[in-house]
Amino acid sequence: MERFKQKQMNQNENEADSAINGHFDGRVKIPGWSAGGAAGTPSTAPSSSVMESWREERTRSLEDNEMSLPSIAAAYTTILRGLGEDPQRQGLLKTPWRAATAMQFFTKGYQEKIIDVLNDAIFDEDHDEMVIVKDIDMFSMCEHHLVPIFGRVRIIVLPSLSTTFTSCFLFCTRIVEIYSRRLQVQERLTKQIAVAITEALQPAGVGVVIEATHMCMVMRGVQKMNSKTVTSTMLGVFREDPKTRDEFLTLIRS
Amino acid sequence: MEYQKAAELNGLCNGKILTVDSKKVAVQHKNEISRKEAEDESRLPALEAAYTTILRGLGENTDRQGLLKTPLRAAKAMQFLAKGYHETIYDVLNDAIFDEDHEDLVIVKDIDMFSLCEHYLVPFFGKVHIGYLPSKKVVGLSKLARIVEIYSRRLQVQERLTKQIAMAISEALQPVGVAVVIEAAHMCMVMRGVQKINSRTVTSAMLGVFREDPKAREEFLALTKGAQ
Repeated sequence: MERFKQKQMNQNENEADSAINGHFDGRVKIPGWSAGGAAGTPSTAPSSSVMESWREERTRSLEDNEMSLPSIAAAYTTILRGLGEDPQRQGLLKTPWRAATAMQFFTKGYQEKIIDVLNDAIFDEDHDEMVIVKDIDMFSMCEHHLVPIFGRVRIIVLPSLSTTFTSCFLFCTRIVEIYSRRLQVQERLTKQIAVAITEALQPAGVGVVIEATHMCMVMRGVQKMNSKTVTSTMLGVFREDPKTRDEFLTLIRS
Repeated sequence: MEYQKAAELNGLCNGKILTVDSKKVAVQHKNEISRKEAEDESRLPALEAAYTTILRGLGENTDRQGLLKTPLRAAKAMQFLAKGYHETIYDVLNDAIFDEDHEDLVIVKDIDMFSLCEHYLVPFFGKVHIGYLPSKKVVGLSKLARIVEIYSRRLQVQERLTKQIAMAISEALQPVGVAVVIEAAHMCMVMRGVQKINSRTVTSAMLGVFREDPKAREEFLALTKGAQ
């Protein structure tokens, strides 16, 4: 099984290798699942395990931000000079600081953990139909080119008997914020969101679809204006039961 | 032999063979490009080092697989996004200015534009609509889009970008009037700060008759609103 193989590889890994998105792998047991991995996206490198523990430590704090700001600003000044611009002209005087703060904002997901989000009230709702949260605006940073990615996320959750429901909408949007405000690859982002919702809510099934525009493709490189990338992850019943998956896809398209 | 080949290849003009000259121009152009490329290459290591510092400052692990070559890619991407500094309009206009007896409005609209905000180093993008009233000289239509490219591939402020495009066309063609309208979304407002997703900034630059005559301006604005 794919998950078993991943676990084996995880055990052989170096500590340094297991840092993904700045976080360390947790070894998480997800009970009752027969298959892991993303739907449709082949796993690439062996070290890209996405089973993150929701009890992870934050890798960054506000103090860290303040301390690293001068060095990031200095780096931006070098970049401005390297592009042939004059960092002393009026429009660019404070740009290194603004750009550094902006970049820290775009990666603020590293400062947050899922457990913070779950501190909101938890309700035990008696609801066993699908819950869909559509059109969550998502802004992320491409980890390969450091250029923005933006798009929309759709999440479907099918609760199980043991699901404790927070305000699903609030939880889902905040999860999207935490994971998208990082240096990301769209496939990994989709998977991380699905896994986080699964760990927190223990539902019968979760489906996440992201449709996004990548500035690295639009502004440079191939320069295809209208292209969009769609990735999806289905876990639980959505993966196993074809009827549920059909319902999911119909609702996603609407 | 060369004469005949030139004749086939549309290389004859006034009995003179163009191929020799165009070869010289091509070589000169290639030299210029290589010089710019060499300049870019020489600056790359500094940019790479800067990006590595930034990644580390953000708390990322620069040795993980996804980030190994990111400083290089990001540096090259940034150089591409700032390539307008290397170009002048005279390179690009390529003598594509023609004498035509046309005195009515010429509009090229919905030109996609991508630029970098000079305050936050974050993209802003949108559409440019250009109109001009020629005075005996018209320009090749794609050259208008190329002028947009030159000025937008820089660290810009939308107001300045609009004005630069208008002034460039004005200088090159001496038309009766030039109008440029840019409508753009600024990622610095959408992704951070106020985070207003649907807001758009519209700026315009009107020179010549478009500034003085409200009817001309109206006609331009009506025609550019057409297919939006």
